This record gives sequence, structure tokens and C-alpha cells, in this order.
Amino acid sequence: MVAPRWIVLAGSIAALSFSGILVGQTAQDPVPPISESQVQAQEKFAEPDCPYFGPSRERYETDASRRKSGLSPVRRLSATTESVTKMMGFVPGGSRTYNFDQAHAAGSIDSYIFADFQANGITPAPKTRDWEFVRRVTLDLTGRIPSADRVLAFVADSDPNKRAKLIDELIAKPEWVDKWTMYFGDLYLNTDRRGSTALQRFPTGRNAFQSWIKTSLAEGKPYNQMATDLIAAQSTNTYVDGPANYLVGSIVTNGPTQDIMDQMIAGTFDTFMGMEHLNCLLCHDGRGHLDSINLWATKTKRYDAWQLASYMSRTSAARTPVDPSNNNIYYWNLLNNQRNFTTDYTLNTLIGNRPARQSTVPGCKAGMTCYTVPPRYILNGSAPAPSEDYRMSLARSITGDVQFARATVNYMWAYFFGRGIVDPPNTFDPARLDPENPPPDPWTLQPSNPRLLNALAQHFIEGGFDLKKLMKEIVNSDTYQLSSRYPGQWKAEYEPYFARKFVRRLWGEEIVDAVTDATGSKPCTLVSGACSAPGYAATGWTDLGMGRPFYAMQFPDVVNTEGTTNGFLDSFVRGNRDDQPRGGDGSILQALNMMNATLLENKLALTGALASPLLTGIIQTTGASNTDAVNKLFLNILSRYPSSSEMSTALAALPAGNGAARNSAIQDLAWSLFNKVDFIFNY
Amino acid sequence: MTKEQENINRWFKKYGWDHQTFFNRPHATRRHFLELLGTGVTASFLAKNPAKAAEVATAGAVTKGTAENVIFILMAGAPSHTDTFDFKMVNGVTPPTFNPATINGLYFPTGIMPKLANMTGDFAVARNVRAHAVVHSVCQTWVQIGRNPLAALGNIAPNIGSIVSAEKFPQRKPSDIFPTFLALNSNGAVNQGYLSGKYAPFKVTPSTAGIGNTTNATGQTRFENRFKLLNSLDANLRTSAPNGVPMEDYNEFYIDAKQLMYNPVVNQYFGYTTQRSADFGSTSTGNAMLVASQVLKANLGTRFIQITSNDGWDMHSSIYAGGGSIQTRIKIIDDALSALIFDLKANGLFDKTLIVMYGEFGRTTGPVTAQGGRDHGPQQFCFFAGGGVKGGQGIGQSDAQGRDTVDFGWSQKRYVYPEDIEATIYSALGIDWTTVRRDDPLGRGFEYVPKTGAFPFMPVHELWG
Repeated sequence: MVAPRWIVLAGSIAALSFSGILVGQTAQDPVPPISESQVQAQEKFAEPDCPYFGPSRERYETDASRRKSGLSPVRRLSATTESVTKMMGFVPGGSRTYNFDQAHAAGSIDSYIFADFQANGITPAPKTRDWEFVRRVTLDLTGRIPSADRVLAFVADSDPNKRAKLIDELIAKPEWVDKWTMYFGDLYLNTDRRGSTALQRFPTGRNAFQSWIKTSLAEGKPYNQMATDLIAAQSTNTYVDGPANYLVGSIVTNGPTQDIMDQMIAGTFDTFMGMEHLNCLLCHDGRGHLDSINLWATKTKRYDAWQLASYMSRTSAARTPVDPSNNNIYYWNLLNNQRNFTTDYTLNTLIGNRPARQSTVPGCKAGMTCYTVPPRYILNGSAPAPSEDYRMSLARSITGDVQFARATVNYMWAYFFGRGIVDPPNTFDPARLDPENPPPDPWTLQPSNPRLLNALAQHFIEGGFDLKKLMKEIVNSDTYQLSSRYPGQWKAEYEPYFARKFVRRLWGEEIVDAVTDATGSKPCTLVSGACSAPGYAATGWTDLGMGRPFYAMQFPDVVNTEGTTNGFLDSFVRGNRDDQPRGGDGSILQALNMMNATLLENKLALTGALASPLLTGIIQTTGASNTDAVNKLFLNILSRYPSSSEMSTALAALPAGNGAARNSAIQDLAWSLFNKVDFIFNY
Repeated sequence: MTKEQENINRWFKKYGWDHQTFFNRPHATRRHFLELLGTGVTASFLAKNPAKAAEVATAGAVTKGTAENVIFILMAGAPSHTDTFDFKMVNGVTPPTFNPATINGLYFPTGIMPKLANMTGDFAVARNVRAHAVVHSVCQTWVQIGRNPLAALGNIAPNIGSIVSAEKFPQRKPSDIFPTFLALNSNGAVNQGYLSGKYAPFKVTPSTAGIGNTTNATGQTRFENRFKLLNSLDANLRTSAPNGVPMEDYNEFYIDAKQLMYNPVVNQYFGYTTQRSADFGSTSTGNAMLVASQVLKANLGTRFIQITSNDGWDMHSSIYAGGGSIQTRIKIIDDALSALIFDLKANGLFDKTLIVMYGEFGRTTGPVTAQGGRDHGPQQFCFFAGGGVKGGQGIGQSDAQGRDTVDFGWSQKRYVYPEDIEATIYSALGIDWTTVRRDDPLGRGFEYVPKTGAFPFMPVHELWG
């Protein structure tokens, strides 16, 4: 296919701004900013009047056009649309270096997503410029902003594979481990105390769990192995054995042990299978309850869910006081087949947190088969082998189930894209996932792109359940690398197609750490204004002898983590790893914190123990121009150079010379940049 | 049992009882709709949906419109109704110190709520209220959004306070610097849902010092300069949202935050003395009611105040003994709520301010459990005062034990559900509860009070006498 004329044009204009001008610059060098006219010139090729898919686009009927002519729309991703995808030749505006692949490799993320764009007549956003990309991917993968040097080196790099290389570099960093330890700490609800159930792990148990998550990620432990470790954990002491703290988190009071078994399996299916509706089924049949939201659940009985919960029977969890004279502080054990402690899943309850469990067989008594429910895996009917450990069998069934892979890749997708292919990502309906076997009318397939979901799951399995490999596949895709800027008319119904990148408000931890990185001002415990110990005194962490963290992302919890940052982090809705999830909302309190919190103002100090090396470096450099100062601030805080209008606005605010007035103005400019929405959001 | 409730019960029986009110027929949930968009399924799917919001006519309801403000108090954890506002003396179980007496037709435990016992002429109690489910998290959300959190639009539904905020926002004067929707002790409160961030609850934990971070360490002059610089640098991202709407929304938070800064009236009304706090019982719930009273007195734009009473109402054990007993907990409410009513009256605001207080459900009745507590139950009460509500009356009547309603006592001849209480709040404020907004992101139509059930939800206008 011949490239349309405007591709060449885009290339030549981009060449003006990228080649030569920026190559070889470092953070110290003054650099002229990219003018806004250049930016606009790059982007105007993504205007909607541009024939995005090339002149042959109209040959392909969209669902909308079919509907208009009274035809029923084709089911998405039919053989026709897939063959069409391979023929598509489209190039966005954006940068010289990066065009969308002319033909996406069959089976790649982009082959599915771009087929959707084509089939539905959606023009995707242009591809990210390097400046957008380096900040976005660094934040998404490591929770940190890139250093000024790294940004410049990346933009200047002429290697066509530089994005893939950057991704490899980021995933290998210890910061990647920190970020994903926090993510999985959220997913596994690792907190020292769950308020909703009063369940206590105590800081020591939580720390053991945190350390296990961290080590597993650092070692690149396959995710099926991680899941197995958690599901099948046995331990005599949860202060020592991290993974046992996972199921312990499901212990509930005010009910029979079956309530705990139910809670454990409900949590496990939420975490690893993305199926929160199992929780409903543990109280009642799906019919009459889930009829219009989950087809699979509608056909599933409470008894089926009991069979699943039965895998958690024969497990005992008991407390041991650390100090025999004090029953209020204890660790747990989590053991199988303990004499006098463990039981089968029996149908003999009348009270508790869930409705009565009684056999439907008249006159059923203890000792009869009808009285207990044997374990049976709900999605394929398999059962533990004779003498097989129940939970080991469950781990085998779950990790061997493609739904485990689907749920995991979908959780990851939801993180990177702001919404899942199945969304919310824990509402999977197993009866509506197979594009070859669609559900009966009026049901529809549940994933917004079922073939993509299956392909990603398959890749995850074939890749050995390697989380790093999965993330690489996602962030290397053109889909992930679409800009968040959408030059045309955005429509809400484009959302499930991922036709632009959705912005993400940074986590509170990311904001605190970005301010630390940008200003260079490391946290410190201050005693009479002097730094008595570097790092944060994290509650239940450093006082138990662990090393002091330097970044908020290294905190082991999201509740009451550290005195100087708690209020700030809480205002950014970090959740409680119990009944409140982490959120991405904004609030007035966040704005008040961003503008006035001591935490941030301290980092702008020019003198004292917390003086910012960035700011003091700028004010102490004699003879450096204000243009240098502005460039340096933008680069260190926003990971980019200012536009020409931003430059002139900033210069107008900076007095000449090296005086107190200029010093204050430098602080004020830094304050303004930290309060810009392109600092607060990953875009 | 009335014919109406029997019909409803039959319908519930057919489709099950707990938390499925709107699940019984295939209507377009958010997920369905996105699948619809996502998978290109035919338009016939929509046509089959009997409950499509767009087809529901707006009745043009006649509202009461007697209230300007609402204070909504959520007793998180679900208080025992039969030990408090729908009192039942259980011989040999309820301690005699509860000392019940019938005042203004309300059988009231004067021994544990002596202050409110003297104010029964000021409030009304609905004793015919029924929760749809008995799960804390689900039902706490339910009462805040007035609909099933798991059903259509549940996960993008705004807090009732955000709807009020959106309705009352156009009436804001330039001098109105306080948030329209204030949430006290409610950090976990439901937010604005799909509505703009400017209708979000402003979440504050009351403190003697007022609101934190309302001054800048560098002083006001420098702060103003900084803010000006920020706006000139960031205007294009904040107002035209080239990267998506969330960034534009974020700007609203800055505008509102700025108005709260360097403003002496902020701490005058959000802060308080320990003496004033003592008037309200020196508890965090008391402080919240004190701040609510002061903020309404300031009359600077706040119209809806949510207060969460995190006072340990989930009393599964030892309900009558020890530090966590209901006697000690209800004293917090008795002290705070009586002082609030007194304050509102003194400031001439009582008749303009509707107070609504209830839990997410009720508790078991009669004898206590083996642990000496009460477990979850659907029957509950709802407390109403002020805002035009006629005090000194009970709405509906529960049975001798308090397990169920025997006399519904209102026009609909059935239980009062959270959706009815939501409608009551809207009606009191003069907001048409049958309104269907057309600005929801799914284009489905967002009903203020959901209409997709088997029967219409209605305001309890009997409260006005």
C-alpha cells in the first residue's frame, strides 16, 4: 500500500523539531523550547477530517452504516474484519520516528484493538510523542517520574527500538518492585488490621506478607506459583510465613466455621478469578438474584458454591499469643487436617453471617453423605485426587484454569488503561466470554474485546505466567502508546475501544515520591531543624527493626503509615485494603494539600536540612540565565521542556539577577509546576 | 399486612428478597450498556428492555419544598431499632434503667435518651422502614445513593447530597464560599458518581482549628502570586481538557479550595471551642453536629450535610453491658442531636432544615443472642425532624416485638424503603423526585429516584402531618 502524501509531510516537519535541535542536550544545557506551532503542526494530522484509515476506508461497512441501511451489525472481529485489519495502512500524526505498524502482527494486542477501530469507524488518538511516553511509562511501571537526564537521553536516542529498551530498563529496576508490591498489597488486602471484620494480622504478620510479595516480584516468580503459594499456604506462624497471611485475612467472627470457608473462597475467587459474584452464590442460588447481571451465576446453585468453599474445609486457623500472658497480641497458624480442629463442609448451620445451611434431603443426619459437601471445582467439575490436599488441589484447578489467566491479564489491563476489557475487572461472567459460542439473546459477550482477552491470557500462559513479560507486551503496544490528547470529537461510546489513553490521577504515594525526586530533597526525621535520621519512620516497620524507607511507595500498608505523610496520602484516596478501594477521584482537600501542605512546602526549602538540591543548584549557579532556570524546573518536575508560551510566562515571573526576590520567584515557579494538572496526572 | 405490601412481597418472593430489587428483569445495566457499545449487538436488545429509563414519563410531582437545608445522619453499623427509636421493652432482657414512657404517641426510652425525651414534640419517627439487604457495605452505600449499588447505574450513581448539590448549585451567590455538600466524619462517603467534581462531598473531620491547609506557609501575598502564575501556566490544560475531562474537573477543586483560603469566616464556622464542643457532648459525632449547626448558620452556600456516626452500632455482642453498650452509645446521639435541634431553633433554622437519621438496616429483636447482642435484621426506624416535618408523631407501627410492620401508616400501604426516604429528602427541598437527568455518560437517563422496580417509590408526605 502506498503511504498517503501527508505521512511524508508529517515526517519532514517532525524532523525539524526533533533531529539536531535536541540531540545531545543534557539537563544542564539551556535548550530552546519546542514552539507551540511546531506541536500543533505535528498534531494537526490527527484532525478528524484527515482520512485516517486511508482512502479505502469507506469500503468497509461499519456497524453504524449497516444499522442505517436496516441491516443488523456484524459481530465484531468477524473473519472479515480480521482480514481487513491486516490490510490496513494508516499512519497518525505525532512524531517522525513512530508510526503505527502498517500491519500489526496477527494475534498482537494491536491487531485486535485496531480491528475494532476499523470496524466501528473510530479514529484513534495519535501516538504519543517521546516526551509523553517516557513520563507515562516510567510512572505506570515504576510509580516514579523519570530523571531529567533520562528524559533527554531518551528523546535524543535515535535507536528505533528505544521505547522497547526503555521498557526493559524500567521493568528491571527496584522501583518496579516497589510499585508492584504496593499494587499487589492492595489486591491481596494486606493491612495489619481489617476494620470491617476486626481481623488482626498485626504489623509483624503484615510485614512478613509484604516481604513475601516483594521478594516474589523481585525474583520474577511466575504468577501461578505466587497464587499457589497463597492458596495452599500452610504455616505454624504467620509472623514468619508471609503467604499464610492471605487466607487469614478472610477470617470472620460471629458465625460458624463455614462462614470462614465461604469468605476464604470468595476472596480467592475475587483476587485470582475476577469473580466477585461467587460471594452472592454462597448465600443463595443465582436465579432470582443475578438474573440480569451474570448469566453463569444465574445457572449456578448455592450448592455449587458450597462445593467450592469445601476446598477450604479441613483447614484450621488458630491464634497463638506471642506472650502467653497477653492474649491480645498473637500470630496465626494455618494448617490442614488438624485433629479436632478441622471438619468437612457440613450442612448444619442455622445462624451466622450467611443464611442457614441445611441439606435438602429429608431426615439428613450427621454421618450421612448428604450431611457434608465434598469439594468440586465449579468451572470444570474436577475434584481433589484421593488423599490430595484440598487447597493444593484448588490451587492446581485455579492456576490451570484459563479464567485465572484471563482475570490476571484483565486486572493488569485495567491498571494500564484505566478500565478493564471486562470492567469492573472483578465481575467476570464465565458464560459470556467465548466469542465462538456467544450467549443467547438478549445477553451479549461480556468483554469489550473477547478475542483480545483470550489472546492475552494465552500469551500469559505460554509465557510462563511471567508478569514482567505480560506488562512488556501491554506497554509495547501501539494501543498503550496512543496519546491522551484527542484532537477530534471524543465520544463516550469510544471508551471501551481504548481509542485514546485515559489520564490517571497519580496515586498519593506517586505524588510524594515525584516531589522527592524532582526537588532532590530526601525525607528526613527532623530534630530541632536538623536531620537526625534520613528516610521515613514507617509505623510498624522501622520500629520493628526494618530499614527506613525513602519513598512512600515502599510503605508496607496504606493505613497510618507515617506521621508526616498520612494526611496527605489519605486525601488522595489510597483506600484501606479492607472495604475501601484505592480511588482516582479528585477533591478540594487534595487541592488544599497540593497548594499548602507542609510536606510539599518543605521540599521547596532553600536552606536547612531539607533544602532542595534542585532549587539551591539553580540559585547558586552564577551567570545562568533565567531561561536555563525555567528549562531545568520544567524538565525536573514535568519531565519536558516548556512550550514557548509557557517559557515567556515563566520568564515574566522571574526577576533578573541573583537576589532574594529571584530566589522566592524560583520557589514560586516550582510550586506552580507541582500544582499543574500535568504534574498531578499521568497523561 | 396490606394488599399492596402482599403484592410486593409476592413479587419479592418470586424474585427473591435481598438486594435484587432491580435485577429481576433484563434492563440495561452499565455493564450491559458498555457491552452493547463494545460488542456491537443489535438495537433490538434495547427495545426488549421494558424498564428503559427514557420511556418512563415524568409525573411533574408536587413537592413540599419546606426545607432549604438537609442534615443527613448515617448511623453506620446499623443501630438496634427496638432499643432506641422504635422502643420495645423485653422483660428480663432490656435493663429497667431504659425507663420507657409514652410521650406524644411515641414509646420512648427516657432513661437512655433523657434529652431527646423532652423534645419528642420536635421529631417524628418512621417505624415502618425496611432495608433491602443486611450487608453493611452494600446497604451503607444504598442509603447514600438511594438505590441498589449493584444494579443499573449503581456504580456511577451520585450521593444524594451530590444530586442536591447539582440542583441547588445555580442558586449559589458569589459570596457563597462553602461547599454545597459537606460531609463530616464521612471519609468513606460515596462521592459525586458521574456528576462533575464540583458536586463532590467536601469531606472534613471536625477540629477545633477548623479546616487544615487553608493558609500557605509563605503568606497570602506570595500565595496569590503563585496562584496567578499557576493559572497562567496551566489554563489551557485546565479549561479545555485536551487530555480528557478529569483534568478539567480537577480545576473545579482548585477554584473551590482557593475560596476557602485566607478567609477568617472559614475557621470561625468550621472551628469551635471546647466549651461549645462540651455542649454537644464532646464526642466526634457531637463535634460534627456542632460544625453542621455553625456552617448552616453562616449561610454561605452549604445545603446538604452528611454526618456519619461511627459510634459502634454493629452490636453483635454485649449490647447492654460494658463500654460499648447501647446505653453509652445512644447517649452520644442524645447529647449531640438535642443540642443540634436546640441550636437550629435558636438560630431560626430548625423549620428550614430537615434532619434525617437512620442506619443501613436494623437488628434482631426480642431476646438477645448467645453473645448478648443483636444480629442484623431488615426492620428499622428512620428519624425525621425540622424542615417542615410535623413533630410528635410516629409513622407506621411495628409488631409487639418490632420484627415487622403491622400498620404501614402511609399512602403507599407498604414498607418505607431507602428510595422513599431519598424521595422524601428531595420533596422537602422542592426537588422533583421524578426528574430524569439526561447527562449521564451512557445516555440511558438517570432517575433521581429509581423507577425500574415493580412499584413507584414515593416521598412520605405523611411526615408533614
